[in-house]
Amino acid sequence: MKFSEKNIGIFKGISLASGVFTLVIALTMLLSLIQLKTMDPVNTPSLQAVKEQFDRDPDNRDKAEQVRAIDLMARKAYFSSRWQVEAGSYLLLAGAIVFVFFQRLVAGSEKPPRTLRPDKPDIVTEKVSNRRYLVISAGAVTLLAIISSFVLRKELPAPGRSAAGTKIAESSVPVNDVNLPDEVNFPFFRGEGSRGTAGGTGYPAEWNGTEGTNIRWKTPVPKSGKSSPVIWGDKLFLTGAEDGDCEIYCINKKTGESIWTGSASGFPGASAEVPESDAEAGMAVPTAAVSEKEVCAIFGNGNLVCYDHDGKLKWGKNVGVPQSVYGYSASLVIYDKLLLVQYDSQDKISLSGFELGSGELKWETIRSGRPVNSSPVLAAFDGQPQLLVNGNPNVSAFDPLTGKELWSLPGVSGDVAPSLAVNSKLVFAAQDYYSVVALKPGKAGATVWSDNTFTPDASSPVANDKFLFIATGSGDVACYDTEKGDTLWSHYFEEPFYASPIIADDRVYLLDRAGVMHVVKASGGFQLVAQSPLGERTDCTPAFSEKSIFIRTKSNLYCISNN
Amino acid sequence: MKKIKKYLPYLVLAILFIWHSVLYAQQQRFPRPEFEGGYTFPTHQFLNQRGPMWEYMDVAVLIGALLITAWIALVKRSRQGIIWVSLFSLAYFGFYRQGCICAIGSVQNMSLALFNGSYAIPLSALLFFTIPLIFALLFGRVFCAGVCPLGAIQELTGFRQVKMPRSVEKVLAVIPFVYLGLAVLFAATESQFLICRYDPFVGIFRIDAPYTMVIFGSLLLVVGIFVNRPYCRYLCPYGVLQNIFSRFSLKHVTISPAECRKCRLCEPGCPYDAILQSDHEPGSGTLEKPLKGSLRYFIMIPVLAAGFAVILFNFAPALSGVNVNVKLAREIRAEKDEGISAVSKAAVAFFESGKTEDALFQEEQQIIGRFRKGAPWVGVFLGLSLGIGFFRITLRKIRTDYEPDRGRCYSCARCFKFCPVKIKK
Repeated sequence: MKFSEKNIGIFKGISLASGVFTLVIALTMLLSLIQLKTMDPVNTPSLQAVKEQFDRDPDNRDKAEQVRAIDLMARKAYFSSRWQVEAGSYLLLAGAIVFVFFQRLVAGSEKPPRTLRPDKPDIVTEKVSNRRYLVISAGAVTLLAIISSFVLRKELPAPGRSAAGTKIAESSVPVNDVNLPDEVNFPFFRGEGSRGTAGGTGYPAEWNGTEGTNIRWKTPVPKSGKSSPVIWGDKLFLTGAEDGDCEIYCINKKTGESIWTGSASGFPGASAEVPESDAEAGMAVPTAAVSEKEVCAIFGNGNLVCYDHDGKLKWGKNVGVPQSVYGYSASLVIYDKLLLVQYDSQDKISLSGFELGSGELKWETIRSGRPVNSSPVLAAFDGQPQLLVNGNPNVSAFDPLTGKELWSLPGVSGDVAPSLAVNSKLVFAAQDYYSVVALKPGKAGATVWSDNTFTPDASSPVANDKFLFIATGSGDVACYDTEKGDTLWSHYFEEPFYASPIIADDRVYLLDRAGVMHVVKASGGFQLVAQSPLGERTDCTPAFSEKSIFIRTKSNLYCISNN
Repeated sequence: MKKIKKYLPYLVLAILFIWHSVLYAQQQRFPRPEFEGGYTFPTHQFLNQRGPMWEYMDVAVLIGALLITAWIALVKRSRQGIIWVSLFSLAYFGFYRQGCICAIGSVQNMSLALFNGSYAIPLSALLFFTIPLIFALLFGRVFCAGVCPLGAIQELTGFRQVKMPRSVEKVLAVIPFVYLGLAVLFAATESQFLICRYDPFVGIFRIDAPYTMVIFGSLLLVVGIFVNRPYCRYLCPYGVLQNIFSRFSLKHVTISPAECRKCRLCEPGCPYDAILQSDHEPGSGTLEKPLKGSLRYFIMIPVLAAGFAVILFNFAPALSGVNVNVKLAREIRAEKDEGISAVSKAAVAFFESGKTEDALFQEEQQIIGRFRKGAPWVGVFLGLSLGIGFFRITLRKIRTDYEPDRGRCYSCARCFKFCPVKIKK
């Protein structure tokens, strides 16, 4: 079929027009697609605004009609856009077909080009250049392989582990690296870092205090107190107070024999005042803290003392007499060479760092909020050691060396008594009649989940990377999924819990107020291992060291181990 | 009459397109759902599965089309015949079968079947994968010439010839090898069928393809007028296999029906740059010079294979991101790191399903493990392809005639008319 020059010109014109049309449609469709991807017809700002107005005035029928009208309009707009894109795709196809067809007509009327290749390489040149390409590409690929191995080495499987079998390392104990729990030392309230976990294995699960089963020794404690034992090496330390006399006791961990008794009264600057507080609590509620050379204790009248392990008073001072309805109760923590004191009084709430050797005040940070009865916790997140306080209303973290506040997030409120639980990723705050809150720590942190089904009274929660355990003041024990906040199991033990649970040897040790230790597996399913009565009531958190458990009751201290 | 015959196939092609547009217009007759009128959604209706007889029919049509194409290309040497077969294939495998079943996509079925014992590959998919390769071993790329609907639509619309510079052509020719390697890896790890997902012409064959693919397909068609068969040359993963098998073909089309006169007239006759030039100049002697030490370069092939294997092994975790479960696990982990829970629709749906995060994260690690196993083999394939590609040229012998590059020639018969040598029938 032969076409005239004029016709060919027309075909070229049509072809050009259809080509431009195709391109314009293609660009328009791409823009429409982007618009469709970003459009959310049921959540437009105008619709949301009218919905909010309707929520405030639900009986307003006009407003309801307005919501419906805007909703309908938004949906119509969305589906119109969709229809336009659908129709556009066929306009595009039609444009392409017209372009192809007229190009065919134009091409059919033209003679095919018969140009020769100007560059005919000879065989030797071709071979030589290909040899060069081969060497260059082999070198480049080798270099890229080496670079990618270095750059992406974090992604490589660990040595000795097969690629297919790579699994996320999950630990049953928190991977929080401010001093991991020790098999021998149990230096603070709730152990290392005050985090509620004990090192070592082989702890007893079954005993009977009345019958003497697995009771290694039992010794009376001179003065009463709610504080818990702390341990360094073979020495166990405990505090007691009666009638304004405050004492610290050093006891042989192996035999239960008293090594020395130190006084926290009568030193220069000491307070003899007995502040008004809950009669049941007394003045020896805070637990002492022990390091390699020193043991420090604080009491309800603000007397703070530091002894060496041989019973020699290194220094003593009064930090002010705390005014607290339930009695001063914040336990001590030692970090590096600093004794860290959380001070909560009606007139002042603060955190202080005292030099361990001299008692010199190195820093003091005034906290905001209301006084609480919790104790500080030491943990590390993103490699930063942090002193964490379950405050009211915020959970706050401080640099233990400087006292500088690192971050603060909304936590719990009320008469806050439980201390925080932590694992390698999250911080858990809890308060009775309020809630349990899981927080992602840090300046960019936030609430991950919260729940108010099971909340503790005086007992502090404890967590590992998978599970959070809560012992309540009504006798319930609950296990939460740390990441999702689901209640994995709960069990009613009848007696209330004041002592804080401790995770040891993949078990959770839960001591109720009647003195019965309930031992359960630290797992997502309820598995009761044993229930062991002591025969005495207690509210003190037990200490764990070298296959032995140490429990303080109202008047005795027990050492329990498998015979 | 002869001119009408020349344009008739294009008229049929236009009718096919118009027919499809009519089908679309019919769809538009039905009103769209109205939200104020108490609209109720219609119940789902499922089409009956095609009977096995129809699957055998597809295979029979495939074999028939391959035989006819081979006869037309090798015996009849008819370009017009190739165009008619292309039109038929486009109508049957493209518009009627809507691009499925397809030999190109069957690569993924094969990969999945080879690496997953629980997947039973349909017989038709197996045959669609193997039969065109057998024909490539016998007669060259006759499947590409006129049976593949994707090749056919491009062949019918490639009117003009814009030759790409040789260096660009060589670089772009690497893409199909990478595409094939990734497509096999993704299918073998049960991650996704990459080839089907990004089939550019399925939007034209069907009327319900993603719009992005309609745009891609239409633009490719327009580009293909000038740079002929762009998908076949720079993307098609099955073309890589056809390329390899065709190099060993028993019979292959020749440019000249008899002895080549080295007249160079055929040089501009191939838009795909698949004509290998003769090393003999008319009237001159051999150009061959001894080139020693070629075997030294052989060692570069395993170096390339090992290098690519290491690179792909290192990138395996990144590649595994195409798997929906890996993507979801990473999304949930990122949300948790940011301290927020279940924002994306996928994450919300996952949590509502009642599955545990632990199970998801474990599955993520298993999938990454599978990628770690498979990716190095893709690297070995790429390294060997590149290495052998360079090395074989260093060993090649003197060419006395102009001949088609057996790997890259589509047997489209375009070059026949450029050869002045004719045989009287």
